[in-house]
Amino acid sequence: MLKIENLHVSVEDTEILKGIDLDIRPGEVHAIMGPNGSGKSTLASIIAGRDDYEVSAGSVQFLGEDLLDLDPEDRARMGLFLAFQYPVEIPGVNNLYFLKAALNAQRKARGEDELDAMEFWELVTDRMRRVQMDEAFLKRPVNEGFSGGEKKRNEILQMSVLEPRFAVLDETDSGLDIDALKTVADGVNAMRSPERGFLVITHYQRLLDYIVPDVVHVMMDGRIVRTGDKELAKALEAEGYALFRDNPEPAMAQHA
Amino acid sequence: MAELADILEQPFQTEFQKLQGRQEPAFIQTLRQSGVQRFTDLGLPHRRQEAWRFTDISAFTGHQYRLAQPVPLAADRLPVRSSADAIRLVFVNGHYSPSLSDDLSALPHGVTVTTLSAAATEQADVLTAALGQAPVVVGYPFSALNDALFTDGVVVHIAAGILMEHPLELVHCLDGQAVAAYPRNLIVLERGAQATIIEEHQGQGRYFTCPQTEVLLADAAVCRYHKLQQEAAEAWHLGSLRCYLGRDSQLSAHLVSAGGRLNRTEIMARLDGEGADCEFNGLSLVEDGQLADYHVCMEHAKPHGSSRQVFKSILNGKSRAVFDGLIKVVEQAQKTDASQTCRNLLLSRQALANANPRLEILADDVKCAHGATIGYLDPDALFYLRSRGISEAEAHSMLVFAFANEQLESLDLLGLRQRLEALLVERYYPSNL
Repeated sequence: MLKIENLHVSVEDTEILKGIDLDIRPGEVHAIMGPNGSGKSTLASIIAGRDDYEVSAGSVQFLGEDLLDLDPEDRARMGLFLAFQYPVEIPGVNNLYFLKAALNAQRKARGEDELDAMEFWELVTDRMRRVQMDEAFLKRPVNEGFSGGEKKRNEILQMSVLEPRFAVLDETDSGLDIDALKTVADGVNAMRSPERGFLVITHYQRLLDYIVPDVVHVMMDGRIVRTGDKELAKALEAEGYALFRDNPEPAMAQHA
Repeated sequence: MAELADILEQPFQTEFQKLQGRQEPAFIQTLRQSGVQRFTDLGLPHRRQEAWRFTDISAFTGHQYRLAQPVPLAADRLPVRSSADAIRLVFVNGHYSPSLSDDLSALPHGVTVTTLSAAATEQADVLTAALGQAPVVVGYPFSALNDALFTDGVVVHIAAGILMEHPLELVHCLDGQAVAAYPRNLIVLERGAQATIIEEHQGQGRYFTCPQTEVLLADAAVCRYHKLQQEAAEAWHLGSLRCYLGRDSQLSAHLVSAGGRLNRTEIMARLDGEGADCEFNGLSLVEDGQLADYHVCMEHAKPHGSSRQVFKSILNGKSRAVFDGLIKVVEQAQKTDASQTCRNLLLSRQALANANPRLEILADDVKCAHGATIGYLDPDALFYLRSRGISEAEAHSMLVFAFANEQLESLDLLGLRQRLEALLVERYYPSNL
């Protein structure tokens, strides 16, 4: 459902992604692991539609459409979701209002009926139980004054409400204690289905104990240097990224 | 007849001359004479003066405005009540309109509300003791001008310990071409008294209004004050707000400016008793061709006082917002806790905001914080909303509305709040109508 081919991306003349290929099919969970600065978050931003990057070559297709031509809102309406690494605080915009506006904007674009206040309340409170968030968060401004863990839960809540067809989780585990991590993972696992795909971006293997991936990619310096199954993540955890830094590319190909 | 050049040089002198021979109590005559003197000394401001560097009023020529005469006004021109239980007094062109005002005969015990003109005889003791006694807005010619020429307004007196439950709504309407009004309000809360005041300004035509309000809070008095300005597009509004806060008294003020060609309100607040608390919440909605200007002097004169100022502006088209805020802490005002924030949201490349936060602190054990920002909408916030499926236009509206609406969150007058929210939606969030 998400197909990336030979993607090259730069920021102010510095190339960050140097030819990425990815093919994620419905029902699959892919993980991308890599050290800081390897280009993981740039990839997430490109998929979601941030415009402060320059795509110099390659393509990104989602459900057969050229994603790079679409505005971020149109991508979301097609069913794409990004859980932000750093969710943005939006003072003055109430969380409940925001969620309802987002869901109804998507439903409207898809030709579905908008939910009224009652229907939405039922949906959102159900989803809040799933991520163990208190209803009080609905009345607060979006992410304002939320702790790191609360912000990440709020991302998963949004995902649960919007029910995307494909979700990118950008370092959703960072800053979470083990209980919050489990809650977040439960929220994701509850949404796994044969129709839905996930791309989980993480620095550590820890998250992948709870969200078990079908495919694991290792990203270094703007390239995917190795692809394997969940065992690859464990090897990485045990031996560290240095393994891949020291090994030239041909050697890695043997493992892949 | 005087030479034109002379009139230009000495604006309002013809108005001042008409003051001669008016039958008024001596203390009012004295106040007027002092106003004439101070205005004549100060003259009309110009941009070479520091306080007027960013506010160009060279297009304002005082002599073309003559004192407005009373005119009838249709009741449907009045704003929706700030609160269902508000008691309303209406002034049209500076003159009291009994037919548009509520009955004042059944006010609670200890509450006196009269017009300034009636108070000169009925409330002479209050007036003598209080009128002109609030701290002076130093160097501001329009405060002096109001002292000289004030026409009518409201005198509110709440006796010690009395809680006035009904909000008092003072509506000043202007209607006419080349007319001027000088409304004057006096609000006196005795020890422990409480009141809610709403002062509204609106109008139609091309006019000049120069209102002045004094708020005097005795020890432990609590006042919630609101000033809402929605003047006509060609109006000049040059107002003054002078506040005196006694020991443990509280003043919380909401100031909203949404109309007029040029409007400036200068505010002087003196926290003159220990533990006084003062809060100003300002919101300027400035459209193409408009200028909104708040000048604030928050003076901490006694220990343990606290003050918070949050002033926000939203600027559209070729508009301008000016904020100048001074926090002054005298040597003995230890343990003062003062903060000041000024935030400006630019919606156009032609808009211009000037923020000038100033501190003058002579005490050594105080907490003072200030900050000012001027900028466009946060691109990260816009992207975040859009990434959830909200259109760019909708995300834009939502953020602008939110920026402004935060200033209304502490507003507990339902009618006023709904009216202002509706105004924000109309201006910044049309898709949500």
